[in-house]
Amino acid sequence: MAEGYVEYSGLKKNFGAVPILHGIDLKIDEGAFVVLVGPSGCGKSTLLRMTAGLESVTDGDIKIAGRLVNRVHASNRGIAMVFQSYALYPHMSVDENLAFSLKMRKTPLERIAEAIKGAAGILKLSPLLDRLPAQLSGGQRQRVAMGRALVREPAVFLFDEPLSNLDAKLRVEMRAEIKALHQRLATTTIYVTHDQIEAMTMADTVVVMHDGRIEQVGDPLAIYDRPENLFVADFLGSPAMNLLDGKVVATDYPDQPRAVEVAPGVLLPIPGGAAAEPGQSVVYGVRPEHVALVGEDAGEPVTMTLVEPAGWETHLHADLAGLSLRILSVERVGAKPGDRAGILIDPERVHLFDRATGRRL
Amino acid sequence: MATLTRGGETAMIGREPGFFDALMARFGRVILIGLPLAFLVIWTMVPLIWALLASFKEPLEIYESRSFWPRNPSLDAYWTVLGMDGFGKWMFNSILVTVVATIVPLILSIIAAYAFARYLFPFRHVLLLLYLVPRIIPRVSLIVPLNDLMTDLGLINTYWVLYITYIASAVPLATWILVGFFKAVPREIEESATIDGANMWNRLRYVILPIAWPGVVTAAVLCIREGWNEFAFVLALVTETGMRTLPYALYMLKDSMGVQDYAVYNAFTILTVLPLLVVYLLLERRVVDSIVSGAVK
Ligand SMILES: Nc1ncnc2c1ncn2[C@@H]1O[C@H](COP(=O)(O)OP(=O)(O)O)[C@@H](O)[C@H]1O
Ligand SMILES: [Mg+2]
Repeated sequence: MAEGYVEYSGLKKNFGAVPILHGIDLKIDEGAFVVLVGPSGCGKSTLLRMTAGLESVTDGDIKIAGRLVNRVHASNRGIAMVFQSYALYPHMSVDENLAFSLKMRKTPLERIAEAIKGAAGILKLSPLLDRLPAQLSGGQRQRVAMGRALVREPAVFLFDEPLSNLDAKLRVEMRAEIKALHQRLATTTIYVTHDQIEAMTMADTVVVMHDGRIEQVGDPLAIYDRPENLFVADFLGSPAMNLLDGKVVATDYPDQPRAVEVAPGVLLPIPGGAAAEPGQSVVYGVRPEHVALVGEDAGEPVTMTLVEPAGWETHLHADLAGLSLRILSVERVGAKPGDRAGILIDPERVHLFDRATGRRL
Repeated sequence: MATLTRGGETAMIGREPGFFDALMARFGRVILIGLPLAFLVIWTMVPLIWALLASFKEPLEIYESRSFWPRNPSLDAYWTVLGMDGFGKWMFNSILVTVVATIVPLILSIIAAYAFARYLFPFRHVLLLLYLVPRIIPRVSLIVPLNDLMTDLGLINTYWVLYITYIASAVPLATWILVGFFKAVPREIEESATIDGANMWNRLRYVILPIAWPGVVTAAVLCIREGWNEFAFVLALVTETGMRTLPYALYMLKDSMGVQDYAVYNAFTILTVLPLLVVYLLLERRVVDSIVSGAVK
């Protein structure tokens, strides 16, 4: 198999006696935009900081551009990092912030001026060069932090939750800007976030992490359409996938020989190819947008419990034989709580997981 | 005052606001903040002003008149002090010892405090506490052993004895202050500088010290104050007239004058305090400036 541009093999990290990363294996292609996503505390920052050289390696290897960097100093790894807090030098003006790394490397002054001009142009910082960080807005500080990374022309950009200090609107704007910047520079980027929407929208490749392990790696939509386990199924998607405990049963219908009984007498269809035996305990997963609302006399009967119109879509909560079900409709549903309706589920959109192992069936 | 909003109107709970409420509303802040401040200012300034006024009086006036104000204000006492044999030397001694006992401890403390603030070496908490021991033990109890030691070393009546003792007592103080300021510099800023290629010395110089500058100035002010005002060590370890510092000379002045000339005595006091006040005011401005200019978040 080809070498990755950034490559982790059997990478482990302990803080004291506490294992935090349990053996990370991952290859990142040159020019890729990889997003590490996972709940808070799963070890994303630790992995990124180890890549940067800010944390030591307990076991395993990190390679950047074919070079083993386990013991290479942070300043010599060819990386640049953007921190969540931006970590701007508060006593330096914007241009001094941008120039600092080049000055430390004894770059000739003309080259520094050129680099600052270039970065300031790309990031629209030119009118702000004389300001101190305290005189900038959150979005502007974010840009300075990116500019500081940019002037070094690194081999790899590392971002640690760079947008989490911005308000929702600015976050969406900066998301697009970072993505556009990557499309323009094509620098290999590792981006950490706990926000699955950020992960889905920005990544070429999403790496879902949980408890110091990689749960799944892949194209964002591929992972969304085919989560390999319960954790990934639950974590990606908003509103989250419906996950119902049930048991596989045999039916009398020739075209649907098996189904899942999620409540006494409530049978839901499953994909034809699913490797599930009758009697097996499973978790039945279906995304809210794959539950179709139909008339009261068709499908499984449900009762509406909550209706949340959100403009272009409607979020509904329904009661299915005592189970709570989330439904997402892009129609303007005129339903009210208490209304009765029926639901239909396309069996090919159903995800089936083994209840004991959490693995996809 | 608690209010309720009902149908667009504001209903006041409790009694109608009276004259006192109006007064408090208008002057409350001024009174709450101003009164204690005024008290503090008076508390600290009155002795100084008293000494200043007394220094303008005639030699024996203090025994004869109870007035606060001098009868015939004059600068005679100052000319007497400035004309004293040795005053110039004492002033020089004070300045020299204070400068050394400020710069050297600052350099040592900056390095030590950086280690305490950033490195996770074993026993650092205990060590930082032990650091304080010289300041917890009463200075007077150190004098006899120090005197023996310094006599053996042949350092009595040299500047070295003052340098060593002053530096030793200033380092713990400055270190404790700086550790707090250094710890307050966000770690990520330093990590950023590390990635940017700054080694430890460059990080200290270009990142930590500028951000923690108010702390450095605070430590410097305290070192200066300690060195300038130190009395016990200089009293015990120096005997020659020419080696005295200003506080010691001031103390000796009392004994050397038969009938005490309070005007001269106070003029000497004022001349001893004045340089310190000037330094305070200069440095204080710099701290305020650096805070105002946004160097500290
Ligand atoms: N310096 C450290 N010392 C001890 N534990 C740490 C340290 N840094 C992180 N941890 C722990 O490691 C785990 C993962 O942290 P982190 O990588 O920051 O998670 P994430 O970025 O995914 O939220 C957390 O449980 C955290 O408490
Ligand atoms: Mg984190």
